[in-house]
Amino acid sequence: MAQPEELTFFALELKGISKAFGTIRANSNVDLELRHGEILALLGENGSGKTTLMNMVAGIYYPDDGQIFVDGEEVVIRSPKDAYKHKIGMIHQHFKLVDLFTAAENIVLGVNDGSRYDIREVNERVRELCVRYGFNIDPKEKIHEMSVSQKQTVEILKVLYRGAEILILDEPTAVLTPQETANLFSVLRNMKKDGKSIIIITHKLHEVLSISDRVAVLRKGEHIATVETSQTTEGMLTEMMVGKKITLNIDRTEPHDTVERLRVEGLCGVNADGLTALDDVSFTAYGGEILGIAGIAGSGQRELLEAIAGIYGPTAGTVTYRDPKDGAEVNLRKKTPLQIRELGVRLSFVPEDRLGMGLVGSMDITDNVMLRSYRSGRLMLLNRQDPKKLAEEIVKELEVATPSLRTPVRRLSGGNVQKVLVGREIASAPALLMAAYPVRGLDINSSYAIYNLLNQQKERGVAVIFVGEDLDVLLALCDRIMVLNSGRVTGIVDARTVTKEDVGYLMTKSHDGAAKEGFISEGGGEK
Amino acid sequence: MFRKILSLCLAVMMVAGLALAASGCTSGAGTGTADKDFKLGVILLHDESSTYDKNFIVAVEEAQKALGLSNSQVILKKGIPEGNECYEAAKDLVAEGCKVIFADSFGHEDYMIKAAKEFKDVQFCHATGTKAHTEKLDNYHNAFASIYEGRYLAGIAAGLKLKAMMEADSTIVPKIGYVGAFTYAEVISGYSSFYLGVKEIVPEVTMDVQFTGSWYDETLERNAANALINGGCVLISQHADSMGAPSACEDKGVPNVSYNGSTASTCPNTFIVSSRIDWAPYVKYICEQTMNGKKIDTDWTGTIGTGSVKLTELGSKAPAEGTQAIIDQYKAELVAGTRHVFDTSKFTVGGQNLTSYMADVDTDAAYTPDTEVVKDGYFHESEFRSAPYFDLKIDGITRLNENFG
Amino acid sequence: MKQRKHNEQAHEPLVHITKNAAMPFWKSSLIRVAAVVLAFLFCSLLAAVLINAKPVEFLQEFLKGNFGTNPMSANLRIWNLVKDTAILLCIALAVTPAFRMRFWNIGAEGQVLVSALASAAVVFYFGKYFDNVSSGWLLLLMLIASIAAGMIWAIIPAIFKALWNTNETLFTLMMNYVATFFVAYCLVKWTPDGSSVLGELKAGYLPRVGHDYLLLVLIILITTVFMFVYLYYSKHGYEISVVGESQRTACYIGINVKKVIVRTMALSGALCGLTGFLLVSALDHSVTTTSVGGRGFTAIIVSWLAKFNPFLMIISAFLLVFLSKGASQLATTFRVSFAFPDIVTGIVIFFVIGCEFFIRYKVHFRFARKRAGAREAAGAAAGTQGAPGELPAEAEGKAAVIPDKGGKLK
Repeated sequence: MAQPEELTFFALELKGISKAFGTIRANSNVDLELRHGEILALLGENGSGKTTLMNMVAGIYYPDDGQIFVDGEEVVIRSPKDAYKHKIGMIHQHFKLVDLFTAAENIVLGVNDGSRYDIREVNERVRELCVRYGFNIDPKEKIHEMSVSQKQTVEILKVLYRGAEILILDEPTAVLTPQETANLFSVLRNMKKDGKSIIIITHKLHEVLSISDRVAVLRKGEHIATVETSQTTEGMLTEMMVGKKITLNIDRTEPHDTVERLRVEGLCGVNADGLTALDDVSFTAYGGEILGIAGIAGSGQRELLEAIAGIYGPTAGTVTYRDPKDGAEVNLRKKTPLQIRELGVRLSFVPEDRLGMGLVGSMDITDNVMLRSYRSGRLMLLNRQDPKKLAEEIVKELEVATPSLRTPVRRLSGGNVQKVLVGREIASAPALLMAAYPVRGLDINSSYAIYNLLNQQKERGVAVIFVGEDLDVLLALCDRIMVLNSGRVTGIVDARTVTKEDVGYLMTKSHDGAAKEGFISEGGGEK
Repeated sequence: MFRKILSLCLAVMMVAGLALAASGCTSGAGTGTADKDFKLGVILLHDESSTYDKNFIVAVEEAQKALGLSNSQVILKKGIPEGNECYEAAKDLVAEGCKVIFADSFGHEDYMIKAAKEFKDVQFCHATGTKAHTEKLDNYHNAFASIYEGRYLAGIAAGLKLKAMMEADSTIVPKIGYVGAFTYAEVISGYSSFYLGVKEIVPEVTMDVQFTGSWYDETLERNAANALINGGCVLISQHADSMGAPSACEDKGVPNVSYNGSTASTCPNTFIVSSRIDWAPYVKYICEQTMNGKKIDTDWTGTIGTGSVKLTELGSKAPAEGTQAIIDQYKAELVAGTRHVFDTSKFTVGGQNLTSYMADVDTDAAYTPDTEVVKDGYFHESEFRSAPYFDLKIDGITRLNENFG
Repeated sequence: MKQRKHNEQAHEPLVHITKNAAMPFWKSSLIRVAAVVLAFLFCSLLAAVLINAKPVEFLQEFLKGNFGTNPMSANLRIWNLVKDTAILLCIALAVTPAFRMRFWNIGAEGQVLVSALASAAVVFYFGKYFDNVSSGWLLLLMLIASIAAGMIWAIIPAIFKALWNTNETLFTLMMNYVATFFVAYCLVKWTPDGSSVLGELKAGYLPRVGHDYLLLVLIILITTVFMFVYLYYSKHGYEISVVGESQRTACYIGINVKKVIVRTMALSGALCGLTGFLLVSALDHSVTTTSVGGRGFTAIIVSWLAKFNPFLMIISAFLLVFLSKGASQLATTFRVSFAFPDIVTGIVIFFVIGCEFFIRYKVHFRFARKRAGAREAAGAAAGTQGAPGELPAEAEGKAAVIPDKGGKLK
C-alpha cells in the first residue's frame, strides 16, 4: 500500500478490545481504526456494543483486554481526564450540564490547565470556536433556557474547548429534528475540514449514508466489517447489521381456533420527557397465535406493553380485552393493574426489566413467586405455603439452577431469573401473555426453554405478544410480526413469508418513506 | 453472627479480666490531707465548651485544689440533660460513694430533689434552684449569689465613666442601654441593680432594655446592642452569654460593662469592668461542712463579702480615673451593711417610693406573691431564698420589648 | 507500516475494584467482628496518645462504665445499659419500616419529641383529675395522644412525598426543628415563672413491675418481636419490601405505592409515639427540648448497622450504648471533654461501615495480581485467603502506595 496516508498512523486504533459485564459479553475482540480527518459511522442494533466500545475510548469503562493506540502510541485511558489528555472527547447521549450555569461556564467547568479562571476570556474563545465551525450559540446564555439541540452544541463545544482532535458522538440525532440534524451534519463536515476525526454512533442508515466516509458495523459485540460508505448500500448495511438468516429449530405450529383476544385502537402516548412514544398504534392479538413486535429499542415497545398492563397511561386510544369465556369486552385503559386483575382479566406480563420490574432482586424465589398472589387470604399475615409449593414446581419443571428456594433471585444467572419470572407469569393461567425481550442475555438452552414455554401457551389458546430484538427468533417463533418505528406501526407482516431485510428496513427507515409500507405489507417475500 | 459476637465478648471479657488483675497493684496515687473516703460528685449540663458550665468546672477545680482532694475524689459528670438522666447521674454518683452531690443547672432541681428523698445520708446541693426552702429536706440545699451587688458596683464604675463623658462633652444625654436575655426576675434584678449603681453617680440617667429571648445568640445580642446605640445609648451593658454585645460596642467605640468574665482582650478600648459569680467558695463550703459532719444551709447566698461575687480587673483604657478607689469604698459599705443596693429611698416605682412588696418567693405555678420583702428601708433581695426575685419596674428604665422565651 | 510504540508502563490501573460475589455468612460476620475489634484497638491507641490512658485502663474504664465499680453501681449501670439499649432499640424499630421502604425518614427525633410533648401535655392538663399516679385511664390517654402526635408528625412528610414527591429527607429534618420549637413554645406557656423548666410531673407513671425499668424493657421486647413478624411475615411488610426495592415492581403488581408510603410512615410515627410515651411515663415524667437528645439520629445508625433486622438491632443498639457509656466513663475519669465519647463512637461506626466495602468489593492491585499470577503459575492453589479477608488487601495496599520502590523491594 503506497497511499500517503498509510504512512502515518491512524488517529485512533483499537486492537482486540473485549469487555464483559458479569456473564454478558458486551464487546469481544474488536478491532477498529479511525483515520485522520474522516467521519466514521459506528453502526449496529441496540445492544450491539457500540456505546460500550466508545465508552472505553472515552475513559468511562476500562477494557478487560486489548490495546488502544492514539497516533500509533499505545495509551492507557482510565478516566475521561486521560481521554482528554490524548485529545479524545465524547458527546454522550445524556447531557451532563449544569442547568443554572451559562454555556461558557459549563464549557470551562472541570478544565484545570493551571491558568487563572477568566470568564471573559472563556466567552471569547467559545465565540471563536462558534465562528470557526458554524455553531449558533451565545456563550452567556443559561443552559435551562436552551433547546435540546443547543445543549448538544454546548456538549460539543465542551469537547472542542478541551482541544479534542477525536470526537465521538453517541446517537447525536436521536433527540434532534430533521432540520437540526442537517445543521449538526454541516457542523460535523466543517470540523472534518478542520482536520478533526469523528466517530458517530447511530443505527439510522440514511444518516450513515449521508454523513460518513466509512462505516464500521458491530453485531452482538463483534466487529463485522468496516466499509467505504461510497461503496455500500442500505441493503448491504442492513444485512451486516442484522446478519444472515440463521435457521432456528423452533417448533412452530400453525395457529388454529384463533379468537380475538385483544384489540388496540389508536393508542397514543408520550414518554417522561414529553416526546411521542406511541403514535396511533392499532392492532389485534388473537388467542392461539404469537404476535411478534419488532423494532429498534425505544420505539415504543415498552410503553405499548405497559399501557396494556395498566402501568403506563396513554393519552388516547382504547385497549379492548375480550373475555375467553363469555366474549364480554372490557376497556382496560385508565385502569390500574389491580383493577384489571379484579375485573377477572387473565393478563400476564413478563417485563423487559426483569429485576427492576418483574421481580424483586433481594427477595428469594418463594417471595418472588408470591408477588402476584400474596394478597390471597384474609389474614394480615402472609401465606408462604402455597407460593413455596409453586416455587418448587417452577424450579423443578423449568430446571431453574439455584442453591435453594431461599436464594435471592439477584444471585441467580440471567436465564434462571427469567425462568422464575416466566414460570410465575404462566402459573396464573393467563389468557393473554406479554413477554418483552424474554431471552435477552440468556444462553441457547435457556432461550429454547423459553420459546417452548411460549409455544405451549400458544397451543393452549393463549394470545402471546412477544417483543424481541433478534430478528431470526422473531421470524422463527412468531405467526405475525408487527414492526414499530418511533412509536408508529410501520407494518404488520406474516412471519412465515417475510424476509429479515424487509423487517430490518421497516425498523430503520425514516418516516417520509411511508410509500414503502404498502410494498412490504403486500409482498413481503418480493426480495 | 450471634456466636461470633458472643465469642468476641468473651474474648474482651477475658482480656479485661487479666487487665484488672494486672492493675490491682498499681493504685494508690498520693492523696492530700483531706478525708480519704470523702467524694464530691458534680453534675454539669454541658461541658467546658459552655461558658456557663466552664465557670462551675473552674470553681470545682479550684475548690478541689484548696481542699487537697484527688481526682478520684471529685467526679465530674458532664453533659447531663435536665431530665431523668440527672436523677440517674445522681444515683450513680451515690453508688460511686459521693457524700455531696452538686448540680449546676436550673432544670436539674426536681431530679435532685427526687434523689435527695431516696438517699437521705447524701447531701444534694443545687445552684440557682428555688425549692429547697419549701421542700424542707435535711439533705437538699439551694445556692445562689447576690450578683446584684456585683452589678451595682459595676454600675458605679459605669456611672463614673458616664460622668466623665458628660464633663468632656456637655451635649451628651445620659442614656444607657442594656441587653437582657429573658424578662425573668434574675435579669430584672440584674439590670435594676446596675441602673441604681449608675444612678448613684449620675442621678438623671435613664436606661433602655432590649431582650433577645436567648441566653446565647451572638447575632441577636449584637443587633440588640447596635439598636440601643443607634437609639442614643452612650454606654451598654448586658446579661447574656455571647460576645455579641461587647464586640458591637468595641466596633462603635461605646463603653461596655460586661458579665461573667473579662472581655478586655477582645474589647481593649471599651471594656470597663465585669462582674461574675465565683462558685468556688460554695463548693469549698459544702465539702468542708460535710467532711466535718456539719449542716449545710438550706438556702445559701454567696455575697460580695464571702467572695462569691467578684469584679474583674478594670479595663485599661475605658474606665474613668479613680474608679477603683470609689468602687472599693462602695464595696466596703455593702460588706459592712451600711449601704443596700435596693434602698427604697433611691428609686421609685410609678412615681411612688416603695413601702411594701409581696414577692413570689415560694415557687408555684400561679406565680402567687407570698412574702413581704420590703423592710428596714430596703428590698431584701436574695434573703428569703437565694435565687433572685426582684421583678419591679422601677422608674427611669424603659423596657423596649419583653421576651419570655 | 511503521512499528507501533508499545507502552509497557501500565496495562492496568494501579487499583482496580470489582464486585465481590456473595460471601458466605460466616466470613462476612468475621470481617464485621474483626472491624469492631480493630476499631477498639485503634481507639485505645488514640486514647493512649490523646489522653495518656494505657490500653489496659482503656478497657477497664469501658467495662466500669457499663458494668459498674461496686455491687450498687453494677446494679445501676447494668440496668441503665439495658434501659438505654431498649430506648434506642425502640426508636430504631420506629425508623426501620420507612427505611426498608427506602423512605429516608430522619425525623424520628422530632416525632419522638412531639409525642413526648403530647404525653406531658395530657398529664399537665388532665393529670389533676386522676387520683392514682399510675391511673390506667390516664396512661391510656397519654398513649393515644403520643401515638397520634407521632403519626401526625410522620404522615405530613409522607403525604407531601406521595402527592408531590418532595424530598423526604429534608422535610423530616425540618420537622425536627419545628418539633423542638413547638416544645419550647409550650414550655414557655406552661411555666409562668419564665424558666421554661417544666419539672417532674406528678401523675402518669408507668406502674413499677419488679424493677423501675423492667416493664419498659418488656414492652420494647414485645414491640421488637411484633416488628419482626410485621416486617417479615405480614402482607404489609412484604409490600414495604417490594416498594423499597423497586417502585416499578410495586406498580407492576398493582401495589398502591402512595398508600403504602403513608401507611408505613404512620406506623413509624406510631412507634415513635410509643417511645415518646415511654420516655415521659417511665423515665423523665417531663419534657424538654432535649428530651430525645439525638437518639432519633443514632437510631438510624442502629437500624442501618443491623440491616433493618429487628433482632440484629438489639446487638447494634447495645454496641452503640456500650460504646457511649464506656467512653463517657473514660472521659469522666480522665477529665477530658465530653466530645471524646463521640469520637470513639464515630471511629467504631466508621470501621464497621467501612468494612462493608471489603465485603461487597474486592480490591485488586496491579502488581499484586502479577504476583498472584506467578503464584498460580507455581501451582499454589488460589482462594485460600486468610481469615479476615480485608487484611491481605490492606497490607498490599500499603505496599502499593509506593509502586516503584515496592516493586524493587520485591
